Amino acid sequence: MLRKVIKSNEFVIFLILVFLSLVVGTINPAFFSISTVFDILRAAIVYFIMAFGLLPIMIAGGIDISFVAIAAVTSYATHMLLIKYGYQGGIVPYYLIACTMGLLAGLLNGFLVTRFNLPVFNVSLATFTMWYGFNLFFVGATSNFDLPKGTVGYYAKFLITSQDPLVGTTGLHESILYVVVIGIFIWWFLKYTTIGRGVYAIGGNREVAIRSGFNVTMIMLVIFAIMGILSAIAGVTQAFLSRYFNPVIFIGQPLDVLAAVILGGASVTGGRGSVIGTALGVLLIQLINRTLILTGIPVEWQKLVLGIILILFTSIPALRERRIKRMGHTTELLQE
Amino acid sequence: MGEEILRVEHISKRFGGVVALDDVSLSIRKGETCCLVGENGSGKSTLIKIISGVYIPDEGDIYVNSHHYKKLTPIESIHEGIQVIYQDFSLFPNLTVAENIAINEQVASGKQLVNWKEIQDIAREGLAKINISLPLDAIVETLSTADRQLIAIAKALLAKGRIIIMDEPTTALTQKEIKALFKVINELKSQGISILFVSHKLSEVTEIADRTVILRNGKKVMDQDAKGLEIRTMEYYMTGREIDTSAITFAEVTPVTPPLLRVENLNLSHGFFNVSFELRQNEVLGITGLLGSGRTELALSLFGMLPADSGNIYIKGNRVEIKSPTDAVRHGIGYVPDDRITQGLFLDQSISNNIVVRVIEGFKTKAGLLDNRTKSEQASQWIRQLEIKTPSGELPVKSLSGGNQQRVVLAKWLASNPKILILNGPTVGVDVGSKAEIHELIRTLAKQGIGILLISDDIPELIQTCHRILLMRAGKIVGEFHQGEITEQQLYSELIAGALAESSR
Repeated sequence: MLRKVIKSNEFVIFLILVFLSLVVGTINPAFFSISTVFDILRAAIVYFIMAFGLLPIMIAGGIDISFVAIAAVTSYATHMLLIKYGYQGGIVPYYLIACTMGLLAGLLNGFLVTRFNLPVFNVSLATFTMWYGFNLFFVGATSNFDLPKGTVGYYAKFLITSQDPLVGTTGLHESILYVVVIGIFIWWFLKYTTIGRGVYAIGGNREVAIRSGFNVTMIMLVIFAIMGILSAIAGVTQAFLSRYFNPVIFIGQPLDVLAAVILGGASVTGGRGSVIGTALGVLLIQLINRTLILTGIPVEWQKLVLGIILILFTSIPALRERRIKRMGHTTELLQE
Repeated sequence: MGEEILRVEHISKRFGGVVALDDVSLSIRKGETCCLVGENGSGKSTLIKIISGVYIPDEGDIYVNSHHYKKLTPIESIHEGIQVIYQDFSLFPNLTVAENIAINEQVASGKQLVNWKEIQDIAREGLAKINISLPLDAIVETLSTADRQLIAIAKALLAKGRIIIMDEPTTALTQKEIKALFKVINELKSQGISILFVSHKLSEVTEIADRTVILRNGKKVMDQDAKGLEIRTMEYYMTGREIDTSAITFAEVTPVTPPLLRVENLNLSHGFFNVSFELRQNEVLGITGLLGSGRTELALSLFGMLPADSGNIYIKGNRVEIKSPTDAVRHGIGYVPDDRITQGLFLDQSISNNIVVRVIEGFKTKAGLLDNRTKSEQASQWIRQLEIKTPSGELPVKSLSGGNQQRVVLAKWLASNPKILILNGPTVGVDVGSKAEIHELIRTLAKQGIGILLISDDIPELIQTCHRILLMRAGKIVGEFHQGEITEQQLYSELIAGALAESSR
C-alpha cells in the first residue's frame, strides 16, 4: 500500500511542491509565512474549481479549453443583467443565474460533441472563441466595477485571519469551502457513481464502453453540464474576489488549468486522472506563478521552469510505457 | 457428454459474389469442446459471427437451447448464453481487474451508485469459476496477455455464458500459458459449459478437442470425433492437397563470397543468443520458431528497431552498424512487418502514394515540387508487375483485400530497390488463393537477385518458398534444414517437439 502511494503520480507532484517551497523559502525566508499560504490559496481557488470541472472531460479522453470562456460569459452577463435592473442584494442570485447559464453552455458543447460525433477539442475551440466574442459584442466590452451593495464586503469574508508584520491583516477566504465541497463531490462522482466509472470506461476504450452498455451520450452530457456549472462558479467567484467583472477574464488561462490537470496525472488520451492529483497540480502551478517572484527570478523564468516541469512530467509516463513495451516483447521468453 | 445445446443447419452466407459459407451444419453439446479448424479465409470467422448475431445468414436455421431462429441478433445471442471472446478481449486497459470483470453486471443492474465491496465480490466469484486468482486491484494494462484472456473468460462466465466461443485464443500466448488456458477449458467443461475453440494450430487442436470440424473455402469438409485424429489427416483436409514441391522452381543461389548478409554471434538480452547465419544473393532463408522463440526479435534487430546488444553484421563482407531503421534502409535492407495495417500502410492514402512513399524524393521537379505524372507512372508499373487488383492506383489502400494490401507493402519496399528484404509473416490474414500468388512473387524476387529473410510459422509457406530454414527455440538457432530434405510433417514435428520439451520442463 505504502509502495503504491510512493510510486503514484500524486506523490511525485507532492515532492516537487515541497522541494520548490524549500528552495523558495531558503532564498527568501519571507515565503514561510501564513500570509503566503493564504495568498496562494486565494489565487488558486478559481483554478481549483475550473480544473475539477475539466478533470472528468479529460478522463473521458477530451481536451476542452472553452471553460474559461464559459466562466467569462456567465459571470459578466449575469452581472450586467442584474445591475441593469438595479439589483443591490446579495451574492446568491449571481450564482443561481450564472450556474443556469453555465449548465446550458456546457450542454451546448456536449450536444455538439455527441450529436455530430465531433472531437471535444474542436468544439471547445469554437465555443471558446464564440463565447468571448459574444460577451464583447452583445454584453459589453469594458470591465465593470459597479458592484451591488449586498456584495461589496464579500471579497474580505475570511474564515480565519492572521496578522502579518509586512502585509498587515490577511485571511483565508471562505470560498475555499466551495473548493472543498466541489472537490469531494467530483471525487465521489468519479469513484462511486456508475456514470463516473463510465467516464473512466469511455477514456479507456470507448468502443468497449458502448458494448458494455454505458450510455455514452448521456455520460458526456453530464460531464459537460458539470464543467459548465463549475466554470460559472469560478467566473463569479473570481469577479467578487477581485471586485470587478471582466468580459475577457481568464482568456489567457486555459493552458494553466490544462497543465494542472495533466500534472495531476490525467492523460491527454483519457482514462486516467484523480481529484487529489489535480488539486496538487493546481497548487504547483500557482506556486510557480506566484512565488518564484519572491526568489528574484524574472517572470520569464517562471514560464521556463513550468515548461521544464511539464516536459519532465509528460515524459515520465511515456518512458514507463516504453519500458513496458520493451519488456513486453521479452516477457514471453522470461516466463518460459 | 450432455444434450445438444447449439445446432446450426445448412448455413450459407455470401458477400457480394464471394461465398463465405456454403451449406455448413454444426452442433455442439453441453460440456463439449468443439474445435473449428480452417485456414485463413475458410469461413471460420463468418460462422462465429453468425452464431453471435453479428451477421445474418442468407440461408439456414439456428437452434440454441432448442429455440429456433432464422437469424440471431447480438442481444438474443447473449441471452441464449453465447459469449464470444475476441482477440482484443474487450477490456478497459485503465481499470482494475475487479472492475473489468464486474463492470457489465454493474451497468446491467441499473444501479446508479457503485459499491466497491460488491465489485470485488463479483470479481472474486468470476475468477473462482475458473479456479484462478489474480490481484483484483491490478490495472489491466500491466497484465500479460494470458491474464487478460482469463479476465475475459471470467467476464463471459459472469454474463451467464453457456457456450463460449474463443477466437484464436492462443495466438499471443506462450506454451506455458496455453497449458494454463487448457486447464481452464477443462474446468469449464466439467461445469457443463460448451466451448467452440477456433484455431488453425493443429497441435493444440489434437490436445483439447472432443470433436473437430474443418472448414475449407466455406464448406465443411470434416466433422468427427477428435480421438485418434492425426495432424496429417487434418492438414490434408484443411488444405485439400498434398503439396507437391517438385513443381516449384527455386532460384539458383549465387555462391559468390562474401555472402550478401552475414550475421555473427548476434545477441539481444531476453531476445536471442549467439545467432549466426549467412544469406546469399537469390536466396530465400526461412526463420521459424514458436511465439517467443526470438524470431521476431531477430528480424527487428536486423532492421534496427531493437538494436542488438553485441555481435557483428556484415553486408557484402563489410561490417555495418545497424542501430536504427534509418541505418538498415541505408544499407539496402527492407522490412515488411507482420502487422501491415498499423506498421506498413497509410490506409486512407491512395495505392500510388503508398507505393512511392519511400522514394518520394526521387520525384522532385527542378522547382522542388512533386512530379505527379512520373510518380503515377512508376506506381502503375508496380501495380502491373505485382498484379495488384484495382481499377485505379488513386483509390485508397483500404479498398483492397488483404492479399492485395500485402502486395502494396511489398511494392513500397521494392520501389526503393532493396538488396535484402525481411518479410515477417507475409501471408498472415491473407486468403488461400492470394497466398499462393505471394509465394510465387517471393520466389520471383529471389530470382531477380534479392536476398530474402522469411520469418514465418506457416509450415507450407516455408517449405514452398525457402532454400534453407532455420529453426529457433528459446532465442537460439537449433536446427537448419535444406529445401528438399524435409517434409511438412517433419518440420511440424520439429517445431512441436520444442514446444513439448518446453512445456514438460
